[in-house]
Amino acid sequence: MIGVYVHIPYCIRKCRYCDFCSIPIDETAGRYRAALEKEIALSRAKYPDERVKTVFFGGGTPTILPAEDLCAILDAIRTAFPVEPDAEISIECNPKTIGFDGLKRLCDAGFNRLSIGLQATQNDLLSRIGRVHTYEEFIATYSAARDAGFTNINIDLMHGLPGQTQDDYLDAIRTVATLEPTHISAYSLILEEGTPLYDDVTAGKETLPDPDAVADMEDAGMDLLESLGYHRYEVSNFAKSGFECRHNLIYWHNEPYLGLGVAAHSSMEEDGFWARFSNESSISAYLKKLEKGKLPRAERIIVNTFEQMFESVMLGLRLVEGVDRAAFLDRFGCDVIETYREAYDKNDRFGFWDHSDPAYLRLNRLGMDHLDSVLRDFRERRLIDFLR
Amino acid sequence: MNFDPNLIRNFSIIAHIDHGKSTLADRMMELTDTVAKRDMEEQLLDSMDIERERGITIKASAVRMFYHHTDGKTYMFNLIDTPGHVDFNYEVSRALAACEGAVLVVDATQGIEAQTLANVYLAVDNGLEVLPVINKVDLPSAEPERVKKEIEDVIGIPAEDAPCISAKTGLNVGEVLARIVDTVPAPTGDPDAPLKALIFDCLYDNYKGALSYVRVFDGTVKPGTRIRMMASGSEFDVTEVGVFAPTWKPVDSLTAGEVGYIAASIKSVAETKVGDTITEAGRPAKEALPGYKQANSMVFCGVYPADGAHYDDLKEALDKLKLNDASLSYEHETSAALGYGFRCGFLGLLHMEIITERLEREFDLDLVTTAPSVVYHVYTLDGQKIVIDNPSNLPNAAEIDYMEEPIVKATIMTPSEYVGTIMELCQNNRGTFVDMQYIEADRVNLHYILPLNEIIYDFFDSLKSRSRGYASFDYELSGYARSELVRLDFLLNGEMCDALTTIVHKDRAYSKGRAVAEKLKDVIPRQQFEIPIQAAIGSKIIARETVKAVRKDVLAKCYGGDITRKKKLLEKQKEGKKRMRQVGSVAVPSDAFMSVLRING
Repeated sequence: MIGVYVHIPYCIRKCRYCDFCSIPIDETAGRYRAALEKEIALSRAKYPDERVKTVFFGGGTPTILPAEDLCAILDAIRTAFPVEPDAEISIECNPKTIGFDGLKRLCDAGFNRLSIGLQATQNDLLSRIGRVHTYEEFIATYSAARDAGFTNINIDLMHGLPGQTQDDYLDAIRTVATLEPTHISAYSLILEEGTPLYDDVTAGKETLPDPDAVADMEDAGMDLLESLGYHRYEVSNFAKSGFECRHNLIYWHNEPYLGLGVAAHSSMEEDGFWARFSNESSISAYLKKLEKGKLPRAERIIVNTFEQMFESVMLGLRLVEGVDRAAFLDRFGCDVIETYREAYDKNDRFGFWDHSDPAYLRLNRLGMDHLDSVLRDFRERRLIDFLR
Repeated sequence: MNFDPNLIRNFSIIAHIDHGKSTLADRMMELTDTVAKRDMEEQLLDSMDIERERGITIKASAVRMFYHHTDGKTYMFNLIDTPGHVDFNYEVSRALAACEGAVLVVDATQGIEAQTLANVYLAVDNGLEVLPVINKVDLPSAEPERVKKEIEDVIGIPAEDAPCISAKTGLNVGEVLARIVDTVPAPTGDPDAPLKALIFDCLYDNYKGALSYVRVFDGTVKPGTRIRMMASGSEFDVTEVGVFAPTWKPVDSLTAGEVGYIAASIKSVAETKVGDTITEAGRPAKEALPGYKQANSMVFCGVYPADGAHYDDLKEALDKLKLNDASLSYEHETSAALGYGFRCGFLGLLHMEIITERLEREFDLDLVTTAPSVVYHVYTLDGQKIVIDNPSNLPNAAEIDYMEEPIVKATIMTPSEYVGTIMELCQNNRGTFVDMQYIEADRVNLHYILPLNEIIYDFFDSLKSRSRGYASFDYELSGYARSELVRLDFLLNGEMCDALTTIVHKDRAYSKGRAVAEKLKDVIPRQQFEIPIQAAIGSKIIARETVKAVRKDVLAKCYGGDITRKKKLLEKQKEGKKRMRQVGSVAVPSDAFMSVLRING
């Protein structure tokens, strides 16, 4: 059972902090649906036995394409692969890019989860980070989605934005919670090299809140979300019980997924190996390969068992639940704590582990704050020692 | 047939850094056709990269030239280059002792500096004739007449006729050559007397072994001669003698008055000590040439590989450097904080910097060096005297009767407008004022007695910044003095870090403890937990700072497309960690140990 990710790279305009694969909508958009349909058919031939338990349309801004195209792509997936009847089928959208009719069409076609990029509820903050919409425009989209029949909706929020105060952030959470979405993603802004925001910050033209202030925001936001009934299940993800994103859980459980579209990544068992591979990241190369009838692969990395183990830890520890020791033992034939004993003990001395359930390798809240340093310790484990 | 001693001139050049010594030497070699201009590497005498980069001479060196004088005769010039830094004072004195004369080069835009003055006095003490030369007269700001007067006033030698030259353009360099013939006396000495040759430098060569660079005062030495080192008593058979033309050129023999090298399959420069006298084993001289001293290390520090696995590489590198540098000393030591390494002794701070830089550069090692220390004399209550070169070996205060620290006589020359701020600097560094002389209306010569441990960190830098670079500084060790010293320890997260321990005067302990703790707070990155930094004298905490814990060290987003990238990011962060040294539970940047102590009160 796999998850299928579909990347739609187009946006009205790229946000100032964004380093994802996204391009302004242009004439290639017309050829993109056909290319995706071809890629789906070719993938089916390659993986004839796979069943699909989740589908996720991400971007970019998927809803920038006509709803008709999006439905056709989903249909193509359904035609090519057996999709489970209770499959979670998500699509990302940005306010202003789709109205009631489009949303209704998506809902009717079987999309059953909508993820809306909002980021902040203050219009000055939104324009400062280059969002194309206002809070009011978001509300219009959200209401339209509800009216169209979407009941499972995520809203994305961010903290650590230029000019943002803790009150701004907590207000955003409170305001959004009154809309009763099932899921809230709350990200700390990552300043990525090569983005306009990065350039402005390095040139001193823009300032970000200092890291301690951001940490305060994050902690206060977490407490508030929990008190409003959104429980944290991953580093940056909060949900009402039972509404955790099943597609994203596939990544964090280190399970197989197939990525379709430009720059999409996959992780699948192939020719008896566990492999990660990626598609061409330029739209022209992607289209060209498919128009010639070839899979648009750019790179394939075989992941050996040792690396798979590390990835399972790296991804699993992002979850509040942690790494399921029995599942790890079942998959790799060794116990995760024993395998990484040194790193485990070191971080135990820091008090980073949650010992409440021995069935899991689980970080407590403090440990989650230090996840990267924990992972650097796990990374110290060398393949050569493992082989011994 | 050896060269007529009456036609030999042995001399060196004395100059302050940047006053043009090496450039003048280059022009002389060109004018005498010693090296063809096209073969000339810029500043031939300074052959190490570090020497060229820093514009200083570290090792002495020599070159032979033939000069066709206007009297129709051809003279042999032996130019013996001297190291240009106070750390190598003894080497300078031995190089000068090998000469009959010295060319004093003074920058026409700058005037005499403290270092020059010290070396001129050394030359005069060694009985050398001094030929003053005014350099850089082509520069617009040159004041040759003022500088000549200064030479006469300060050194007390006539300078009215001093050649005014530009070593850069070659202007009047010919006149300098002619004046050397007239001013510098020919060597005297008996070619038939028992051999007496002064070692003024040594060098290790992979094929010839340790070479002694010598000035022969009496007698003759040739291949086959059995020689004896008079200080050590070791004996060797000479395999080759030669001259510097300018590279090694074997000759049949070296005789009284000449300068050259002696090879005798000697395994280490430890056997060819600068200042020692070489004589014949079968017919030894009655007494050695005067002035031999055992080189003593003045400054010590711990040198550790940044990665403990490279201990053997460091040992091998030190062994190799030692082949060429008898004044470097080292022995194994273990630090609780840094693991296995070496306690190294140096002639001074510059020597220390040069050696560590060469270790890193020529041997590609990453090092951690601890705070430099001087050598203390500790007298315990039970009547013992202990010599301490590593502060963490200091006994408990309760066992100590009293302590002594090395002191130096310092000479500082400065334009008079900076006297106030320089006196303040000396006072801050526990200096005792001796006297002050006006060299000219606006130039002053200050004398201070200073504890060596106050000047080894950044005294020189402070002096330069307080005087906008105009003050110059020289010092010589003048002995030991009783002092109220305490051991200052630093604790990181409650654990003592021996690599940071220093010995300081008790009146300075509080300010130093505070300053270092503050600096440590800045250089130690935030980690998974809060790190208290404490300065302590014995069990008493005198300063405390805190490095706050990292609040968030977690990537906000990680989905399907980020996994490979995320792993790469972790690898990169791990690389960054490698430049850190784990001290107990705390990761400390490798350069912190040295940098935090560069604090001047």
